[in-house]
Amino acid sequence: MSPRGVLVAALLVVGVGVTLASCVGVLVMRDAFDRLHYTAPATTIAPLAIAAAVVLEESLSAAGIKALLVALVLLVTNPVLTHATARAARVRQFGEWTVQEGEQVKGEHP
Amino acid sequence: MNEWFVAALALLAGLVPCGVVCLRGDPVNRLVGLEMAGTVDTLVLLLLAQAYDRAIYFDLALALALLSFAGGMVFARFLERWI
Repeated sequence: MSPRGVLVAALLVVGVGVTLASCVGVLVMRDAFDRLHYTAPATTIAPLAIAAAVVLEESLSAAGIKALLVALVLLVTNPVLTHATARAARVRQFGEWTVQEGEQVKGEHP
Repeated sequence: MNEWFVAALALLAGLVPCGVVCLRGDPVNRLVGLEMAGTVDTLVLLLLAQAYDRAIYFDLALALALLSFAGGMVFARFLERWI
């Protein structure tokens, strides 16, 4: 096995291992806020490792560039999705929060 | 059967915990399970595209990444406002 093949296999093991560990973390945590933390490694480390493995195998061909693009899309969109989900969970738990009459909002001067 | 197929098959096992989360708890917990399953599916399609050695198959992973994001946002909005 060439050194490049060893590196590709190592990157694949990292990507698959991190994703499986995140799935188990999502399963065992108690509430939605704890669960949401475990979606982060699966959308940052794992896609970058797998895309790096594809680029090592194929160099920067159409396949390599598309793999990097998928990793970039996951990297950018997942924090937005996590924020929206956590906000939905909080609104369902405590109700919509609005500024009450006469309440002072921090950082805002009348 | 190369190492890419092995990695894709191993990742498919990660869908089981996501499915269990989707079947239990309140709607927001189920939504988190769905988002996680979408991420795992995207990575599986990425690995399968390289396993079959077709550059055009990477478009499937890209489409799923974008559409699972859009679907998750719609679910989060609905859970926040109306359901």
